[in-house]
Amino acid sequence: MQQDDKIQVAPMDKAEVMVTGGGRYLYCVADSEDQVSLGPIGIDGNKVYTIPYRDICAVVHECPAEPYNSTDREVVNSWVLAHQKVVDEAWARWGTVLPLGFDTIVMDKDGVEAEENVRNWLQNDYDKLKSKMEKVRDKAEYGVQIFWEPQVIAQYLADSSPEIRQLEEEMKSQPKGIAYLYKQKLENALKRELESKADQCFRDFYQGIRGYVDSIVVEKTKPGAQNTQMIMNLSCLLPRDKTAELGEELENLNSIDGFSVRFTGPWPPYSFVGA
Amino acid sequence: MEPTRDTHYTLVDLLDRVLDKGVVLYADVIVSVAGIPLIGVNLRAALAGMETMVSYGIMQEWDQKVRAQWSDARTESGLPVAAGEQLRLKVFGSHYYSEGIYSAWRLGYFYVTDRRVVLYQTGFNGTLFETPLEAITGLAIQRDNHSFTDSERENLCLSLSSGNIVLLHALDIYKLREAIEDGMSALGLTAREIPAPPVADQSAARFLGEGEEVVYRGKMWHMMEPLMPGSTADTWRPGHLYITNKRLCWWYDFDEKVLFDVPLEGITAVAAETRKLGSMLKKDRVLDVVYEAEPGKRVACFSGDELPQWEKALNEIITRQGVVTNEEDTDTCPQCGNEAPVRELLEEGCSRCGWVSPRLKKQTPEIAI
Repeated sequence: MQQDDKIQVAPMDKAEVMVTGGGRYLYCVADSEDQVSLGPIGIDGNKVYTIPYRDICAVVHECPAEPYNSTDREVVNSWVLAHQKVVDEAWARWGTVLPLGFDTIVMDKDGVEAEENVRNWLQNDYDKLKSKMEKVRDKAEYGVQIFWEPQVIAQYLADSSPEIRQLEEEMKSQPKGIAYLYKQKLENALKRELESKADQCFRDFYQGIRGYVDSIVVEKTKPGAQNTQMIMNLSCLLPRDKTAELGEELENLNSIDGFSVRFTGPWPPYSFVGA
Repeated sequence: MEPTRDTHYTLVDLLDRVLDKGVVLYADVIVSVAGIPLIGVNLRAALAGMETMVSYGIMQEWDQKVRAQWSDARTESGLPVAAGEQLRLKVFGSHYYSEGIYSAWRLGYFYVTDRRVVLYQTGFNGTLFETPLEAITGLAIQRDNHSFTDSERENLCLSLSSGNIVLLHALDIYKLREAIEDGMSALGLTAREIPAPPVADQSAARFLGEGEEVVYRGKMWHMMEPLMPGSTADTWRPGHLYITNKRLCWWYDFDEKVLFDVPLEGITAVAAETRKLGSMLKKDRVLDVVYEAEPGKRVACFSGDELPQWEKALNEIITRQGVVTNEEDTDTCPQCGNEAPVRELLEEGCSRCGWVSPRLKKQTPEIAI
């Protein structure tokens, strides 16, 4: 195999490779029968090449059978970006890819070399992989995150909720001690209103977005930046040429007072190729 | 709106995807750590923290070890026992430990043997308290309002030959007491009944000065004055009011310190009256204590049980201060140092600088509050 020859030349820690056994770091499976090298574009400058089986191929680099590990966030980021860059390259070249998660490494086992194990995997999972490819063909993944500013929304709710307005009215005429209790009561009422408002927004926005996408995965929300809170975190799968309509819908949401939308992508379909 | 991949935020978005998603390869040829394939174990730790690690099972071994250790600590005896020493009773309990500014009820198991009483903490393999039975000279049961829970509980007090009195608490203190007494009588010893030490000591011990003693003590709400002008922070707070032989002071239960403190001489008037407290307190009687402060007089408000008794006690103190002296005695004016008959100073004030006694001031109607 010509690729193997090339890799042997690379100034790697050969000793380590010998000790731990060989491995192949997997980036993605691509819709191609090509057996080619993509050059030294991999993690830590490793040479990336393909291992084909029938009309699909795994995009890999050769490495020791050890996971990439670091507690340094910068190092991790650079690895992840390198991983993504390789997947992007394959995606641009072959159109349809099934990305793998970071640090998936196939190793030598029971006298069978890693490269052979990769090919065996492609063979065993061929039907599954092919049907996943059909599902994501010509499509891309987009991240949609919707935030609100709780203070703005709370003010709006306080103005429009009869319960809260009544509490505020009553509070004014109370002595300080009781007013404090009222304040807590008010905060609780407001919290409940906010939660139910968030639920309602979620349903409404979800309905609105669903019409423009093929598939949605609801992700966990995360902490927002200052003064904002994430109320929705979606991964959406849709044809790459259909983003304009979704963008328009999101623009509408983005223009509502107190709300903002983050629209990221196109990503390889990470969220739609798992088990 | 156009999708973007260019900002800082999209890196986070990307990390989520690349680290947690993608095609999953189920095969035994995958490099794995601790049996968990699809790795980046330390990666996840760096990015997601311990919780994720445990949820991924990475920390299982550690977790189980820690759990096992704790279950040992809960179940096992562990007290090193001398040869021939016989155990009479083992019961969960605590000992009141106080050293310097530190004090706490320390928990463990009481072991009453035929020789000694030990409080032993298995988790740390430590003896928290120990005394030979011979050293016990007296016993008493003390009733205490346990702070915060407001429940009454009983403690066992032991007086020791060293002169110390120790406070012990157990699930069943009568059983503990019985085991100690039985153990002592087996050795031909008897412990006499001693008067229970006053309960207040636990917190009072932390602020009483030399030669100072608690005269009267009770649970009492105190209305703290606003910390800043215009602030609304004048809320009622729970604590204990003390009259000692030197001062009137209020101990704040939550901060565990004295927040109101006035020498007995500084108290000029006291009045209990009924008024609306404007809070959730059920009691509507308030004890107002007028006292000397810089500048001028101030009022401290308390509310709680037995207000009439408090009022009476404080009034007695004020009266006692009033009755001073001999006609002929002279004293110096506390403000200017002018020498004058005591009686004149007290009843008319200082003729030179115009100083008037607190007691006299309180009788003047225009008290600035």
